[in-house]
Order: sequence, then C-alpha cells, then structure tokens
Amino acid sequence: MNATVAAITWRAMVGRRRAVLLLALPLVLLVLAAGLRLTGVADAAVSRGVLGALALGTLVPLLGLIVGTGVIAPEIDDGSIVYLLSKPVSRSTIVVTKLAVAAACIALFAALPTLLAGLLMAGNDRGLAVAYGVGSLVGGVAYCAVFLLLGVLSRHAVVIGLLYALLWETLIGGYVPGARTLSVQQWAVSLTSAVADDGAVTADVRLGVAVTLLVVVTVGATIYASQRLRSLTLAGED
Amino acid sequence: MSAPRQQTGVIHDIGYRNYDGARLGRWYLVRSLFAQSLRGAYGLGRPARSKVMPMLLFAAMTFPALIIVVVTVITGSDDLPLDYIEYIPITFYISAIFLAAQAPQLVSRDLRFRTVPLYFSRPITYADYVLAKYAAMTAALLILLGSPLLIMYGGGVLADLPFWAQTRGVLKGLAGAALFAVVLGGIGLAVASATPRRGFGVAAIIVLILVSYTVVSSVEAIALGTGNPTVALYAELFTPYNLVNSLQLWLFGVDINPQFSDLSAPHGWQGAIFAGTALAVVAASAGFLLLRYRKASTR
Amino acid sequence: MSTIEIDRVSRWFGNVVAVNDVSMTIGPGVTGLLGPNGAGKSTLIHMMAGFLPPSAGTVTLDGDRVWHREDVYRRIGLVPEREAMYDFMTGWQFTLANAELHGLADPGTAAARALETVEMTFAKDRQLDTYSKGMKQRVKMAATLVHDPAVLLLDEPFNGMDPRQRLQLMGLIRRMGADGRTVLFSSHILEEVEQVASHIEVVVAGRHAASGDFRAIRRLMIDRPHAFLIRSSDDRRLAAALIADGSTAAVELDPRERALRVHAVDFQRFVTVLPRLAREHGLRLYEVAPSDESLESVFSYLVAS
Repeated sequence: MNATVAAITWRAMVGRRRAVLLLALPLVLLVLAAGLRLTGVADAAVSRGVLGALALGTLVPLLGLIVGTGVIAPEIDDGSIVYLLSKPVSRSTIVVTKLAVAAACIALFAALPTLLAGLLMAGNDRGLAVAYGVGSLVGGVAYCAVFLLLGVLSRHAVVIGLLYALLWETLIGGYVPGARTLSVQQWAVSLTSAVADDGAVTADVRLGVAVTLLVVVTVGATIYASQRLRSLTLAGED
Repeated sequence: MSAPRQQTGVIHDIGYRNYDGARLGRWYLVRSLFAQSLRGAYGLGRPARSKVMPMLLFAAMTFPALIIVVVTVITGSDDLPLDYIEYIPITFYISAIFLAAQAPQLVSRDLRFRTVPLYFSRPITYADYVLAKYAAMTAALLILLGSPLLIMYGGGVLADLPFWAQTRGVLKGLAGAALFAVVLGGIGLAVASATPRRGFGVAAIIVLILVSYTVVSSVEAIALGTGNPTVALYAELFTPYNLVNSLQLWLFGVDINPQFSDLSAPHGWQGAIFAGTALAVVAASAGFLLLRYRKASTR
Repeated sequence: MSTIEIDRVSRWFGNVVAVNDVSMTIGPGVTGLLGPNGAGKSTLIHMMAGFLPPSAGTVTLDGDRVWHREDVYRRIGLVPEREAMYDFMTGWQFTLANAELHGLADPGTAAARALETVEMTFAKDRQLDTYSKGMKQRVKMAATLVHDPAVLLLDEPFNGMDPRQRLQLMGLIRRMGADGRTVLFSSHILEEVEQVASHIEVVVAGRHAASGDFRAIRRLMIDRPHAFLIRSSDDRRLAAALIADGSTAAVELDPRERALRVHAVDFQRFVTVLPRLAREHGLRLYEVAPSDESLESVFSYLVAS
C-alpha cells in the first residue's frame, strides 16, 4: 500500500463529475427507501425486493464498474499512469492500493447506503439490512477487482464490463442455471443469505462455493492485474 | 545563393491558390456529417476494433428474431409467438448497451480532442451540428431496432401468415421503433455530450437507463401489490423504455401491457400525458445539446 | 558512471518496423537523438526507459536490463512527450507527489529544489490545467529531477517552447550534462541538437544512420556530391560549360521545373566556377539553390551510404 498512490487515486475518483454519479446512485436508493417508508408500504418483503433488485442487483454492479474501471482506466487512457510506473514502486503495490481505494468507495457509496436503506425501510427485520450491506460490500469489492483487471487489459473496459454484468449475469443467468455459479452477483446473494436470518433470502449457489470463488476471483484478478501492469507498454507518440 | 530553397521530392511550393469554383452548400455539410456519424455508429469507416461492439450487439439484437422465425416456420403456427411491438421492450438490455456504447462514439471524440471549433469555422452552425448528430443517432437506433422487426416480417410472410395482418403489425412495430429511436437517441447523446471521457459517458448512460428501470419496476411491483394500479401506471413515465412502450401501446390501442399483465396501458387522456412527457424529453435533450454546442462554438 | 547500452535492438508493431537493428552506447554527458518525425526516436527512448520491451536485442543500464525492473527507476528519469498529467493537482503537489513516490527521505526539500531549478516556484500553487504548455513541460522536468537521477531521458523536450524557454531548458540540460549525468534528448531540429549536445545519434526510418560528434558528421557530408538547382538565361549552354569543368559529376535538364540540376563533386571549386562560367558565356543566373541542404536530404545521404 502506498499513501501517495492512494491519495492521487482518491482525488481523481471523487473529482467533480464522477462524484456526481457516485453520489446520485445511492441517493436514488435512499430516496426510494424513504418514500416507501413514508407511504407505509415498507416491510421485510418489500425491503428484500428493493435491496435485492436495486441495491445488490443494480447499484453494486454499476458502482463496481464505475469505481473499478475508474481507478485505473482513465490514467492508462491518457497516459498519466507513466508518472506512477516510472517510480521504484512495485506494480502489485499500485494495484492493491487502487483496489483499496475502490473498496473504500464501494463501502461509502454502495454498502453503507444499502445498510441505511434497509434500516430505513424495515429496521433490521430478519437481519436483511445488515445482510445486504455485507453482501454489497463483498460483492462490490469482487466486482472492483474484476473490473480493475479489465481496465488494465482493455481500453473498452466499461462496455465489456457492461456486457458481463447485463448480458451474462442477468439475461443468460436467467436462462442457464450453470451460468449462475459463475456470477459475482450470485456469490454475493449467497453471502447475504448466510448472514440474514434463515430462509429470509434464497440463494442459488452454495455458500462454500460462493465464498471460495469470491476469494479466488478477487485475489486472482489482483495478481493478474499486477502482472499485466508490469508489462504495460507505453509507446510515446500515440 | 538565393532563396527559395527547394526541397527535393518533399514539398512543392506552388503558392497558395484560391478556390473560385462552385461550393456545395450548408445542406451538403449537414448531410455529410449525418452520413459520417451514422457510419461511425456502426464502426464503418473506423478501424476494425470499433466494429466489433456494434456488430456484436446488432447480431445479438437480431438473433432472437431469427429464432422466432425458425420456430414459427417449424411449428407451422398461424401467428408469430411475439407481437411486433413487444420485441423492443423485451430486448431492451441489448439496445441499451448499444446506445450506451455508441452514443459516446458520436460525440466524445470531438469533445475530447477539441475539434469542435474546427467544425464551426465552416459554414455549419451549431444547430446544424446537433441536427446532424441527433439524426444520425436516431437513424442508427432505428436500424438496430427495426431490423429484427423486418426479419420477423419476412419470416412471417414466408411462413404464409395472413399478409395484411402482418403488414399492419410490422408497420406499427416500425412506428414504435421510430419513437424509441428518437427518445433514446436524444437521451443518449445529451448524456454523452456532457463529458469528453468516453468510458464515463458509457457508464452514465447505462446508469440512467438501468437504475431508473429498476427503481420503477420496484415501485410498480409494490404499487400493484398494495392495490394502487394508477401509481404503477404513472410510474412508467420515469424510465425511458417504459415511457415509450406505454406510449406506443396507447397509440395502437392495446389494453393491457403484454409484459406485465397486471398493468394496464394508458387509456384516453392518460396517453396524452405520456405523449407530452415523451415530447418533453426529446425537447429537453435537443435543448441541452443545443446549449452545449452553442457554448462550445463560441469559446 | 551510468551508461545505457543498446545492443542490436529491433522493435516492430505488427508489420511496421519502428526500430531496425540499432546498436548504440549512451554515456555521460549530453547526447542528442536526432531524426525526422516517425524515425523511431520516441520508441527508442521508451525502450531505454523500460516502458517498451525490444522485440529483439537488449537494452541495459550498467549491465542491468531495464524492462520489467522497477528499481531501475531510482537511476532513470523520463520526461515523456505526452502532456497528460494529473490536472487537478497544483505544480507543487505534483512535484511533491513524484518525490514521495520515489521514497525520498525529505520529499518537501527535494520538490522545492527541483521547482527552483526549473524556475517554476512562482506558479507552484496554481492548478496544472491552468498552465501553459511550456510551464507544463518545466513541471514535468521538475518531477523528473526530483530524485536526482543519474540518467535523464527527454522525449522532444523543446516541443512547443518559445525561444526564451528553449534557451533556459538548453542551459539546464547543459548543466545536467556537465554534472556528469547521462542526458539523452530527442529532437528533429538540427539547430537545437547542435547547440546542446556534444554527441549525436542520428536515426532515420528506424535505422541508426550516424553517430559521433556533430561537426565531424557535418564535415563528412562535404565529401558527398552536392545537388543544385539553377535557373539561367540559357540552361543548356550553362550545362555544357559546367560539365566540361571537373567540379561537376552530372548535369540534368529538368523539363518540369524548367531548370538545370547539377551534381557538384568539388563543392569549393564549383561555387567559384559557376559565376565565372556564367559571366564568360554571357549568361544570367536567375536562381541558384542547393536542393539538398534540408534535413531530409542530409538524412537520405547518411542512409544511402
């Protein structure tokens, strides 16, 4: 971990326009939660629906995409990453530090709002709020690791990430049962199901499998990203 | 040794020459910009790398239509399993990704590399530029959304389905596709033109569409569950795909929303609200684009 | 002593060969990398800086390979050509961040000193996106000097600089070289290289065309035939008179240019013979221009040998 890299990444991340998007998403969730609470329709079932579909199902992958690619792809794109790479700092330190900043953003803009929204709607009824908060955090970090790797590998990281999150996880995952085992979303759901009260949340992937895959994917993506960053070529006149 | 120096084979100094011939007018400029933007939306005239995504998405969009045609022919049924106007709302993920990926392709490069002033040093005005780009995005979407409908129509005709019913159906479908194209195109371009970074524009567009969709779906589910069908109906206004879908259902006199059988389509004057909202969205998008490029042209 | 050794290095991108079997040694002092645009200078510099692996051959710094080695950056500083920096930072913050990333014991002092060296202390608290191009270039230099590198690589450092800034930068580069550092900078402008570098390497179309002291190379070129373009009142008679003299090797009447092309082998003699012959034959000379003193023809001579 390198404090300077972290500081630079953090400041670039919460720079004006990106911050708008980062704040807008949890705001939508919180406003909806507040609205549902005020109109008196919020209960555990509603909470599960909203947190499952909006928070974990939409907010977390999208924020994971924005934050995961945003911590590295713009720098590679305009070449300013040369100022990080031309230093005696190991590439894995750079990647891990950036992932840590991404995780902090996820915690702040995804997991915490999810927890708050859950509490707002139905308190911690059936342990849902805390469970979805945890699921959002862990799932979000896994997404960030994957999308960070994608940012190092390709200049079209955002679109490719979108294709994964939307087409693979949602469409194909809806029709092909096997695809659900290979979906970060489903692993997060399994974790949520484990943390919540028994039977509150149904998961399609067994907890053991989900946790293992989460760890493997997060660590593996980080290691691979560090390797690829070592071999990143900057060729001058572009 | 006197000047001028002659550089062998590299530059021939023939002096600056004025062009006094005929000049093609502003309309030609707009048309050329339109054509170039439309082709760019599908990666034509760009390196191979830029063709992959739009072609992939086009294939993904039309593939289900082919499946539908094959199924209809094989099972010999006397109607298509899916109505023409249902196709676009069902496949909205794919066209949403296309919009998110390609709208920035039309506008980000000019903004990022600051070539916009180069356009405005020509007889083209900022309104022409916006017109050309908006038209190109709409046309690109229309091609994407209309092709599967045409495939279904072709298949239906080949499978000997009742001709006039099919023709009416496909015309309605294409009209609906045009509505989708105009509304979505405006939203996509407006958001994309707000930032010179392409990746960020992609993310912003998809966030707008997806998050609004999920929020609206949740609200609808809750509203219907608690017996508030009017709330559910009006919730459709707040996300682009549902807005246009409800509008086309109203225009073509469909009673019940085919995807969501508990939800009714707008009736009578309710539809006017949907039409008005759609119009407002288009106007707001165009207005935003005009303001954006007016600022860019005077800088 | 820091010496960069480039040994039979080639680099290709698909079908395009950017650098073609180049070998050179860059030692202490100032070396200029000279070549037309697209000659592969940037590619070479990025290979020396460890950002591009050679497709063939090796690039080493004092015997250590530069590719895939992060600790080599303690000794190397690269000033890239591309302008992109962290725009949201001020000049001071940017230089300080670079100092911190190098793990310096006292980053603040190093940053302040570097900014003073490039004379950017006056604007250090303004954001980078408010800087002019020359100012950005100088801050880039400061960020690179902050860790006192033994090797300094500059990619087209004079691009976009006004004369005063150029003089300043030249002075700075000369001082760095005099300190015993190994400084390499690239340029396509002969005069810039001439004034600063003691040693030049010429690269043309990816090939290593010439190397050595600038004046020596210039002198070598005098041995080549010089080409002239002449317009006179009677080209054909002048051609006949010139070819009769031993200072010319070839004459050609160019119908398109409506001029006379002459290849002179004895430059000194030719320049005195031409006006004399013209006067003797009663001819007027309207135009006498050397058609090969541009950089392109200089380079093409070097490559053709």
